[in-house]
Amino acid sequence: MSEAAIRLRDVHKSFGPTPIITGVSLDVGRGERHAIIGPNGAGKTTLFNLISGRFPVTRGTVELDGHVISGLAPHRINRLGLSRSFQITSIFPRMTVFENIRCGLLWSRGYRYSFWHLLGRERALNEAALALLADVNLESRRDVPAGLLSYAEQRALEIGITIAGGAGTILLDEPTAGMSRSETDHAVALIRRVTEGKTLVMVEHDMSVVFDLADVVTVLVYGKVIASGPPAAIRANRAVQEAYLGTGAH
Amino acid sequence: MNETLTQTATRPVSAAGAANFVRQHWPWLLVLLIALALPWLFYDWSRARHSGFVVAMLSQMSMMVIFALSYNMQMGQAGLLSFGHAVFFGLGGYCAAHALNLVKDGSFWLPTELIPLAGGLGGLAFAIVFGYIATKQRATAFAMITLGIGELITACALMFKTFFGGEGGVSTNRVIGTSLFGLGYGPAIQVYYLIVVWTVIAIALMQLLTQTPLGRMANACRDNFERAQFVGYDPSRVRFFQFTLSGFFAGVGGGLYALTYEIVTFDTVAGAMSANALLMTYIGGVGAFAGPVIGAVLIVLLQSWVSLLSNSWLVYVGVLFILMVTFAPGGITGLVLMHEPIWRSGRIGRLAGPYARVVLPSLILATGFVLLVELCSFITIGAAQGKSFTASGVTIDPQHPGPWLVGAALVIAGGFALWREGRHFRAVWERVSEEIKAAGREL
Repeated sequence: MSEAAIRLRDVHKSFGPTPIITGVSLDVGRGERHAIIGPNGAGKTTLFNLISGRFPVTRGTVELDGHVISGLAPHRINRLGLSRSFQITSIFPRMTVFENIRCGLLWSRGYRYSFWHLLGRERALNEAALALLADVNLESRRDVPAGLLSYAEQRALEIGITIAGGAGTILLDEPTAGMSRSETDHAVALIRRVTEGKTLVMVEHDMSVVFDLADVVTVLVYGKVIASGPPAAIRANRAVQEAYLGTGAH
Repeated sequence: MNETLTQTATRPVSAAGAANFVRQHWPWLLVLLIALALPWLFYDWSRARHSGFVVAMLSQMSMMVIFALSYNMQMGQAGLLSFGHAVFFGLGGYCAAHALNLVKDGSFWLPTELIPLAGGLGGLAFAIVFGYIATKQRATAFAMITLGIGELITACALMFKTFFGGEGGVSTNRVIGTSLFGLGYGPAIQVYYLIVVWTVIAIALMQLLTQTPLGRMANACRDNFERAQFVGYDPSRVRFFQFTLSGFFAGVGGGLYALTYEIVTFDTVAGAMSANALLMTYIGGVGAFAGPVIGAVLIVLLQSWVSLLSNSWLVYVGVLFILMVTFAPGGITGLVLMHEPIWRSGRIGRLAGPYARVVLPSLILATGFVLLVELCSFITIGAAQGKSFTASGVTIDPQHPGPWLVGAALVIAGGFALWREGRHFRAVWERVSEEIKAAGREL
């Protein structure tokens, strides 16, 4: 197995007295497509929030490419090469689609907090933003305020913003939630294409998406990993069937 | 040979560039022309002097344009509601007044033209200090901290006499004889043109700032600060830089204030001044860059012109503000921009009738309202001042019930008619908007 992109060691999280994550240890190999599944309330999104620094861990460590990142602010973790999307679409609604993508590019291209570059004159940056727009099939919508896009388009835009900074590790939180069958197929094709060569971790409810995209599936139930392995092994795992698949909850 | 080639090649390009510049920025250039020409339209040729009132009002407008635009760098562009923006305007003014005094004493040399820069740097320095505290927070906490800073500095202005001069403020004299162009800056008109130059520079710089990475990330943090974090930005840093730059421009406005009035008192840092920034920006419109310019011009016009006509002008400003917040949260520019899609689709004519039908009831309602407000004002302040209430030559007796009944009747009748016509207007507006949407789908 290659070196781990993300490594969780005995990660715990409680909100007040309520434990949500109770000792998760997990390795995500570099270049792997890793799906996290589990029933509602299992703590999947919380786990994402711990990895991306949105919430601090109560106990344990999170490593990204060998650096400990637990305790760092989200923007610092992002600068180390981890980018994420949100379960509820998170874009810049009053800015145009093009501006949204360009904002995603700025930090990674070294612009920092510059107030002396005029963005209109930064050709390489603007070309990169246009290329990304083409990647997520939103070229025709470039000057529309992002808040006016359709739901599926907003999801595609969010994936665009997420990959824009060139992070090697991408976390997608339910990228196909609320989509129709054909929209889901498009989204899956898009995700497959734009995360080529990157490490991908995603939370997903749609089992066809999970078994279609993932190399490794981790099952989380009540804040604990009950199984982790290739999709076929997970499907055959008795504990998983009992705890999750067998109940046919979804 | 090569040189002549490049020369002939660049010349048409620069001519086209200038034409392009005019085409892109013609509204600004038009406003600039008007600003330059207006003092001469009110010039008293028989006595060979400028109208002091007009020059003073225009000077006030220009510095308020800078102040309101700098406020919108926080409010509209970064989503930061500040209740203490006057702090940077006023402290800039104090710094500029001290700079003037020091230059006059010969402590150091600075051209008169650059005195507003001293104000700007003062504003910047204080914005760094207070911004460091305030921009760690956003939303309500930020608003509360700025309110506290505003109160703090107002209190300090009365306590620390060496810097603030106590209640009397800091007086100065702008005729320091260090002009780069040999101007004395005794006449107000010379100061006015200096203000116009600084206003043009400040507007241009603030406009360019919106197109920089910082300007865009300020928008991004306003829209969704969490997302901004996950593209690598620290939203509190973005707020801090935006806040400090905004403080710089507010300070430039304060510097111009010091030059104009030659005295800076604690009112310039006080809450009413901060509220002014908020009013001007909101009424003009926070969503468009030019919005605060319109708001500043309108509010100063109300302040200097309507205040001559009526004691109750602040009531009208307050009502205007409430009406804007309720019915036009985008401000005046927002109202205008709402018409853009209808204008482009060529359906604007359809609104002419409905517009005409709301005008009359609005006028009736406004007349009735103004009558009632003025009656109230004359029965109290007016009586104390010994004024009598005359409208178009007729003297109105506020002690008599007649005028009160007329006012009430106008408000009720106008209000009812406006309510009905307003519904009609809205129906037409919605129908036209639906048609445009349908036409958009067909395309």
